[in-house]
Amino acid sequence: MTYSDPKIAKAFELLKKEFKGLKDKPAILRSNTLKDLFSEIPKLPVEKRSAYGKEVNLLKNEVTSWVDEINNELNLPVIDVTAPYDINVPVEKRPQLLSPELGTIHPLTKEIEYISDIAYRMGFNVETSRLIDDDFHMFTSLNFPEDHPARDDYDTFITTDGLIAPAHTSTMQNRMLINYKDNLEKGLPIAVIIPDRVFRNEDLDATHEHTFYQHEGIYVAKNVTVGNLIATLRAFLSEYFQQDLKAKIQPFYFPFTEPSFEFAIERPDSLKKGDTEADQWLELLGCGMIHPNVLKHAGIDSNVYNGFAWGGGVDRLVMMKYGIEDVRHFQSAKLDFLRQFV
Amino acid sequence: MKYSVKWGQKYSNVDLESIPVEKLSASIGEQLGAIEEIVDLSHKYKDIYIVEVKSAIKHPDSDKLSLCQIDDNRIVKDVKRNKAGLVQIVCGAPNVKEGMKAVWLPPGSTVPSSFDSEPFVLSSRELRGEVSHGMLASPKELDLSDEHQGILEVHIKSKYAQPGGLFADAYNLKDVIIDLENKMFTHRPDCFGMLGVARELAGINNLKFISPDWYTQTDVSIPSGFSSKLNIPTQVPRFVVQVIKGIQIKDSNPEIQSLLTRVGNKPINNIVDLTNYYMQLTGQPTHAFDYDKVAKLCSGEVSIFPRMAKDGEELTLLNGKTIQLTAKDIVIATDKQAIALGGVMGGKDTEVDNNTKNIIVECANFNMYTIRRTSMHHGLFTDAVTRFNKGQSTLQNAVVLAKLSKDIVEAAGGKIAEGYDSNPAMSADHWPAVKVDVNLINSRLGSDIPAGEMAKLLSNVEFKVDINEKTIAVAAPFWRTDIEIAEDVVEEIGRLYGYDKLPVDLPSRQIQPVSKNTEVEFNNRLRKILSSAGANEILTYSFVSEKLLVNCGQDPKEAYHLSNALSPELQCYRLTLTPSLLSKVNTNIRAGHDKFVIFEIGKTHLKAHGVNNEGLPGELEMFSLVFSANDNTTDKNSGAAYYQAKKYLDYIATKLGLVLRYEQLTEKPEYEVTKPYDWKRSALVSDHHSGTFLGMVGEYTASVRRNLKLPVNTAGFEVNYQSLMEVASRVATYQPLEKYPGTSKDITFDVNADTKHGEIRGFVEHITEELSASEGLIFTVIDLDIYQKPNSKHKSTTLRIEMSHPDKTLTTQQANKISDKIADFVNTSLAK
Repeated sequence: MTYSDPKIAKAFELLKKEFKGLKDKPAILRSNTLKDLFSEIPKLPVEKRSAYGKEVNLLKNEVTSWVDEINNELNLPVIDVTAPYDINVPVEKRPQLLSPELGTIHPLTKEIEYISDIAYRMGFNVETSRLIDDDFHMFTSLNFPEDHPARDDYDTFITTDGLIAPAHTSTMQNRMLINYKDNLEKGLPIAVIIPDRVFRNEDLDATHEHTFYQHEGIYVAKNVTVGNLIATLRAFLSEYFQQDLKAKIQPFYFPFTEPSFEFAIERPDSLKKGDTEADQWLELLGCGMIHPNVLKHAGIDSNVYNGFAWGGGVDRLVMMKYGIEDVRHFQSAKLDFLRQFV
Repeated sequence: MKYSVKWGQKYSNVDLESIPVEKLSASIGEQLGAIEEIVDLSHKYKDIYIVEVKSAIKHPDSDKLSLCQIDDNRIVKDVKRNKAGLVQIVCGAPNVKEGMKAVWLPPGSTVPSSFDSEPFVLSSRELRGEVSHGMLASPKELDLSDEHQGILEVHIKSKYAQPGGLFADAYNLKDVIIDLENKMFTHRPDCFGMLGVARELAGINNLKFISPDWYTQTDVSIPSGFSSKLNIPTQVPRFVVQVIKGIQIKDSNPEIQSLLTRVGNKPINNIVDLTNYYMQLTGQPTHAFDYDKVAKLCSGEVSIFPRMAKDGEELTLLNGKTIQLTAKDIVIATDKQAIALGGVMGGKDTEVDNNTKNIIVECANFNMYTIRRTSMHHGLFTDAVTRFNKGQSTLQNAVVLAKLSKDIVEAAGGKIAEGYDSNPAMSADHWPAVKVDVNLINSRLGSDIPAGEMAKLLSNVEFKVDINEKTIAVAAPFWRTDIEIAEDVVEEIGRLYGYDKLPVDLPSRQIQPVSKNTEVEFNNRLRKILSSAGANEILTYSFVSEKLLVNCGQDPKEAYHLSNALSPELQCYRLTLTPSLLSKVNTNIRAGHDKFVIFEIGKTHLKAHGVNNEGLPGELEMFSLVFSANDNTTDKNSGAAYYQAKKYLDYIATKLGLVLRYEQLTEKPEYEVTKPYDWKRSALVSDHHSGTFLGMVGEYTASVRRNLKLPVNTAGFEVNYQSLMEVASRVATYQPLEKYPGTSKDITFDVNADTKHGEIRGFVEHITEELSASEGLIFTVIDLDIYQKPNSKHKSTTLRIEMSHPDKTLTTQQANKISDKIADFVNTSLAK
């Protein structure tokens, strides 16, 4: 650990020396060098106390870990790491793999694999997204001008370095358009899906997570129509639900598509609900025809090529599929939850 | 955006009101956007009647209550009446009097103001010994306004405003409020007004809408003579004001009050209500200042103008809050001080009140981005902000202000006086035309719509369209600020035509196969290998607390921090995966899981990794696993947990066709990934064949165990995913099947206790490889046993050597000779 406060950094070096010379190692925790740092706190200006106090605590933690390491009770002897098992362990007690029955794949990654498989079969490449990105990819390249009100719909986490925790997988659109631009020259479409993790600055509850999964789809070629978009998504979701389903679109607004839609699919038999008109449909995706400015940002001539893009949540699909009541279970690592997804 | 069907109809030349709500909402859904909710006000005002108060005398047992007999023209059944057919009501309102017309809520009806929350249903009940059959209602109870000092006195003169008439008819309340999702209209400032929505409803129902004349007049001018100026045209593209003198403040008429209440605006007085009315109608916010209060804040002649605020300047707003302005805020000011936060909220000092005689009405246009920034900065979210941050048209200020001023004079008296318009030449006309190829439109939509039909669809919503062979020139009306490029026209035509009518077909495709993503595929492969070995894949947050990092011996300064984290628990991007996994061990142990293996594959971020070619932090994909077993239920003789983690790593290696090398450490390595590990009981792992370093496997330090309440029986590994994938991509080797039976020999080596097992095996492998090369033998070496007597300085390690030869059967004698060779070589080598 490096300490930014010069006083603390100096104390750290002193303590290291002190510790080496000590016979009674735990006595280091009672060292005046450490105590003096703490007694410094009330003397500091109020606005500096918190940062300083935090660092002193970190130092104390580090010193405690030195003591822990030589503490005989906690400390364990060197072992032969090149051996296959410990000395004198009888055959039946040697390391074994757990029963295959216990093993599981996370329902979200399993779903992503399922979605990706459909995408492959439809001729789409599968890519992953970044977890730290910049304003250009998250907003500007997607035709969100600075201070545009459309940004209000994305509660983004920002790092202290001014970077962004992407709030949608569309953050990869510009890169994908650039990476696959060669396809167009070869007469092939750009067809990519990007399922991955995204973040929203939202308080947690049973239906809201700050960390969740989306999948993004991009398709660019010559003479792509709105009808192609509807047909592609309908085919994709019909395959997903293993049933031929009707689709409908509703006008919407996204800065990076024009026109933009919300895409709804007829509820599959497995998810049938009530009888009202609203119950007949499942709103699953946002989509639209890629805005010419987005293509331009990637150096694609929007007079020659055009296309569509869509984005949808993964968590909700999985919750519906299994009837999962609380989205927070996904990242809880609770075995009682995970082991149900055999 | 709450749309009142009645209100919209008032300004519509086509009959929108008689379109059934179901049909209307279906067409909105398909062609305009999502509906949040639909409220039918006729349900809310069901069974409520106009009555005449025939007599009102003091209640015999109360000073404040009146005993009234009311006439409802005998319209309500099942209610007790006197001989004259009148109904008795006990009323507490001070303004109840004989001869007035009022609104009666009979028994069984619901108080309208409670309709949306907890419905309050009236009954006949006694009040101090006298029965009251329902009640007479105040404007507040009727959800018309906040007025609750007295009951509503009905002044309206119409055939419905007679005893027995339905209140909803008399007050034009058979209305439906459609709440449209705002997000839909981010690029449609006109749809934040009744007029705009009504026009869209006409358009999507293929009806030709014609805006009221006053709205589309191109020759409206605002009188001059008021002193103002506009020095910040990029921030305030247009600034228009009108002075009106000699007005009288009173309540608005009930209709305006009722319409405003329906869409969520609180009625205040005739002036403020009218400014709100025109905002709700046209999407254009306006603001009225008290002229005389403004005059007192001017050093000379009365003048207001927009300017940027000064840092630290203070302004007390209409809501009573005083804010510190910044140089990024637009204010309306006199020469002495700021009097309003431009486009957001008016100021307290110049508020219109009951004594106001003269007013200045401002109707300006503001930079949408500046308004949004100011709104976010000060946390002010007003109706005006909602409209201005969508980019209102600069061409509508004069027409709206002229009409508003006219209505003010009608409602409040007074005279139109001097005014100011920064851009008098801007008239309410169409924008320059966008020319679009008809084929392009049809190619984008996949449709075959003739140019003439396109023109009709657009002119229904008041576009000017010229068809010139294969091109249409589309001039958007002045209130539309979203038609700039061909794609905007494509959207407009597609939407008005109906997307559901477009042909739907899949793109055609070449049979060129798509390459699979090797990283994703390797990911899936690892998951399958591990889940089939009883391990559970987990996903955990990418964000962790500083505390967790410190508890695992890591340096939080290496982490990217969030500046707006939800909580300290989620403040840093994780440096490696291990701390996340370890933080999930204790809860699972406590949940009763005595032995488990969890793993995760995910991206990590370390400042030390620097930036990539895009200048962004490098993202390192890692693969981490943790084995843990409850100490209370684990057999003491099963040895160190380290070997369990190693078992899993070796298993994966086997499945990937790899052999791994485990390197004993002599001191603590200082990498973030190795920091949680106890170096004395951990190994650096690399690929035996290529030497590629992969990661760390082992047990965790005493302080990590203590901090995270881990069982001693906990161990795991973290390896670099990319490196593992690269070494695993080699093709598996094949050994031809044995034709001749092999034989096996067990050799026990008696060695110093601190001799590493790997060393013994290393020598064995060395000599067997030599023998393979020289004599063509095939060997397999199996670890059979490692034994150490208590307190002994020696241990014995037994290996089984299986050997065979592809061309012959080995005799016992030959096998013994080979095994002796091996034993000799190893013993000699160890002795060196």
